Amino acid sequence: MLFEVHDESIPLDLLDDHAWSELVACFDSRMWAVARAAGLGAADAADAVQGAWLRLVESVDRIRDPQAIGAWLMTTTRREALRLGRKAGQEFPTDPPDLYEHPTLLTPDPTTEIVDADYGRTLWSRVSRLDEPCRTMLRLFALNPDARYAQVASRMQIPVGSVGPTKIRCSAKLRTLLAEDPLEC
Amino acid sequence: MSADDTALETYLLAAMRLAAHADPPPARLSADAMAALSMRLPGSVVATPADLTAASGARSDGKPQMHRFAAGETTLDVETTITEGRLEIAGQVSPPPTPDAYVEVRTPHLTKVRVPSSDGQFAVTGLPPGWVSVAYHRPSGPPVVTRWLRVRA
Repeated sequence: MLFEVHDESIPLDLLDDHAWSELVACFDSRMWAVARAAGLGAADAADAVQGAWLRLVESVDRIRDPQAIGAWLMTTTRREALRLGRKAGQEFPTDPPDLYEHPTLLTPDPTTEIVDADYGRTLWSRVSRLDEPCRTMLRLFALNPDARYAQVASRMQIPVGSVGPTKIRCSAKLRTLLAEDPLEC
Repeated sequence: MSADDTALETYLLAAMRLAAHADPPPARLSADAMAALSMRLPGSVVATPADLTAASGARSDGKPQMHRFAAGETTLDVETTITEGRLEIAGQVSPPPTPDAYVEVRTPHLTKVRVPSSDGQFAVTGLPPGWVSVAYHRPSGPPVVTRWLRVRA
């Protein structure tokens, strides 16, 4: 669980400035990381995060499970990022859901709890187990959020056209490694 | 790659960056989040997009973008334009409003109030680009608010 309100009997529509600031302190950096990891530049990522907060404000009267707020915020940020990214001309492998239409109907992604620095630290140890070029490529993308494919290609001395497919293969290897040897959240 | 895999990949990358402090958020992010809370309008009715081909997060590029929102019998048409870096809103509420009705054009940083004309038209200029929502206050019922819409040049 990522967040607990002090008294679970308090309905969300009574959240005050203090409770809200706790939510912000707990999730703002994580939501930023999600928006950036979804491929947005800094300005669009800031909009995606604020958009998620605004969606929560307009939906809060209808969300009755305080324990689900963290997952809801992460998922909303990711989907808002996909939507804004598509408007900005980026291409994504799947169509974003219609968050704009029905934010309260959103089903949180099942894996949002891994968006956590402690999990990330352990995750780095898994990355170090990967063979090359995956180890270097995933490090480059993780440590250089604004890196373009041409820069990564130059750094790794591979054709630009092979960066995308290699990244997909490396991410799949990491997911396989995690499936075989899961980390504790 | 499945949608779940895409989501997982995003969250894994986010976790790695959080651990590495590779991409700290801008200072204004928390202030923006706090500003969002002040946008609450308890008891309001949310008007949802009625014209799906036009209603979406918009990049205006100087050309007006039309958006229609509806809640029950109430319709709000919102036209957005970016002019010289500022957001302009022209809109219409229908059915025509009663004399006590008013409209708030809201952004997280600036809200402007207008009394619509007898046929429901209103206009606002000089707003900051970004997220915007229109709240329609009427004596006959709870306020009607549009979904938040992002407008950038």
